Amino acid sequence: MAKTIVEVTNLTKTYDRKNVVDGISFSVKQGEIFGILGPNGAGKTTTLEMLEAMRPIDGGNATIDGIDVATHPYKIRKLIGVQPQTPAFEEKTKLTETLEIFSAAYGEKVDPMKFLRDVQLEEKAHAYPENLSGGQRQRFSIAVALVHGPKVFFLDEPTTGLDPQARRNLWDLVREVRDRGVTVIMTTHYMDEAELLCDRVAVMDEGKIIALDTPKNLIKDLLKKGFKKEQHVEQANLEDVFIDLTGKALRE
Amino acid sequence: MSNWKQNLLPITTYVRIDVKRLFRDKVAIFFVFGFPLLFLVIFGSIFGGDNDISFRVGLLNQSDTKFAAEFEKQLQDNDVFNVDEEVNSLDDAKEKMNRSQLDATIILPDDFGVQKGEYPSGQATVLYSQSNQQAGQTLGTILEGTFKDINEKLAPSVEPFTVKTESTATKGLTQFDYTFSGILGFTLLSLGVFGPTTVFPRLKQRGVLRRYHMTTIKVWQYFTGNVLSNSIVGLIAVAIMFVVAFLFFDLKMRGDYFNLAAIIVLGTILLFGIGLAIGGWAKNENQAAPISQIVVLPMMFLSGVFFPTFLMPELLQNVTKFIPLTPIVESVRLIITEGATLLDLGPQLAIIFGWIVIVYILAFKLFRWE
Repeated sequence: MAKTIVEVTNLTKTYDRKNVVDGISFSVKQGEIFGILGPNGAGKTTTLEMLEAMRPIDGGNATIDGIDVATHPYKIRKLIGVQPQTPAFEEKTKLTETLEIFSAAYGEKVDPMKFLRDVQLEEKAHAYPENLSGGQRQRFSIAVALVHGPKVFFLDEPTTGLDPQARRNLWDLVREVRDRGVTVIMTTHYMDEAELLCDRVAVMDEGKIIALDTPKNLIKDLLKKGFKKEQHVEQANLEDVFIDLTGKALRE
Repeated sequence: MSNWKQNLLPITTYVRIDVKRLFRDKVAIFFVFGFPLLFLVIFGSIFGGDNDISFRVGLLNQSDTKFAAEFEKQLQDNDVFNVDEEVNSLDDAKEKMNRSQLDATIILPDDFGVQKGEYPSGQATVLYSQSNQQAGQTLGTILEGTFKDINEKLAPSVEPFTVKTESTATKGLTQFDYTFSGILGFTLLSLGVFGPTTVFPRLKQRGVLRRYHMTTIKVWQYFTGNVLSNSIVGLIAVAIMFVVAFLFFDLKMRGDYFNLAAIIVLGTILLFGIGLAIGGWAKNENQAAPISQIVVLPMMFLSGVFFPTFLMPELLQNVTKFIPLTPIVESVRLIITEGATLLDLGPQLAIIFGWIVIVYILAFKLFRWE
């Protein structure tokens, strides 16, 4: 049994006397890909931001690798990497230079090329971030987020707006990151993504976690309740057709 | 890595890359280097390379001695004095001074140049209006210097104790030399205030600063990195302007470059702090723009960048002395035109340091990453 790396108890965030995150508790095990699902306004992003020490915690507590998030924000920042919803970087700065700035921001010196190789952006080493495609920018942003060797990696809707090829590529990347021993916590609106990628998912609505289990178990539970989907005989969907026609190779 | 090295690494890395990327940005290059150079060329052509600074004076020669006539001729030939031939009486002179058509009037009384014992002697009077005090006083000093030269020629006396004060300002100071420091001030102003008040809100809106906030970089490290890279860019901009001014406008630099560089860096630190306080506080450009205008416009017009402060009413002069840009422009001007050193610039440095403290307290208090 892997050890627990993220422990959240009764986490609460209040705006205008309304609990946008309402006393949620969960724990994430080391090496897991943990998904947080839910409609807009459910409190997913706020939860992530509290865990990232970017937003004050109003109630309950959270620890990452045994360190309290509320009282040690700097230690937490060293432990975690964050992929924002829309990655943006300073312009006219080469990818290698951006990586240097970020590793230095953590007080470290790294070989930027190694990190670019990890996300297949070696040839773009001297390009500027503003000239990358959406998928390339997402990949570059992941490299930047991992430049200081964090233990936990947060991704907020990482595949929104990407084409199917870039999406698949990003899934592979996330798995690779996990295989290196990094714990992944991500939010997404795409259920196929959560089903394929996440070991466990928490479903949030109105600030509360209303279900938490592996995707497989959640589906089983629903079927047990007698849920029946309209039968369809096709063994493929339109996306499979799309990938079959256009191939899996990245386009950018 | 040792602790202090780890603290400095974010700063040194940021500075190295920040300076490089500024030179890749055509818009920034235009505003930091091109725009001030444009000013330089325009002002330089208006004033010409060797057009001496001059005072419009009325000359009332009430003496009929040969010495006075000789002196009058010298004044008329001298480039510093632009003698108004139409002034023939004290009333003429007063009227023209009141209308600011004259800076001052020089009166040579009827006993001026009369032989007294071995040498001719006399006392000239410099008359100026209240609004033109500085010009009048400057004129008085210049005349004093001229008389001192004459006195020495007439009566080379041996004085056991003398103080030798060398004023270089009167020797061939051109209008261009004077304006040049104003343009340098303008360069630092646009680099220090216009830059960060547009760049920081934009970085905030795009979430770039938020991304830095997620790292372990501290605000003071980020500030220091930015201040240093802008100081370097400021020094480069000033160096380029010096080269252009030397090559094309015959600039005379009388001070030393170390003192000048120190003032340029201090000026950049102060002005960039103002930009940092505004840009660091503002959530977006719409918030930053009006405030930076409110701060910049008075500085531009009241700090002697374009108009010499001694042309302002005294009351206003007392206020403008304390505007952040004034001591910077004054210091630069005194170094270039009079060869002043940091030791001579005590009052200006005190005002600059005072502002640096105020501005950075504000900047740290008001800064938001997003």
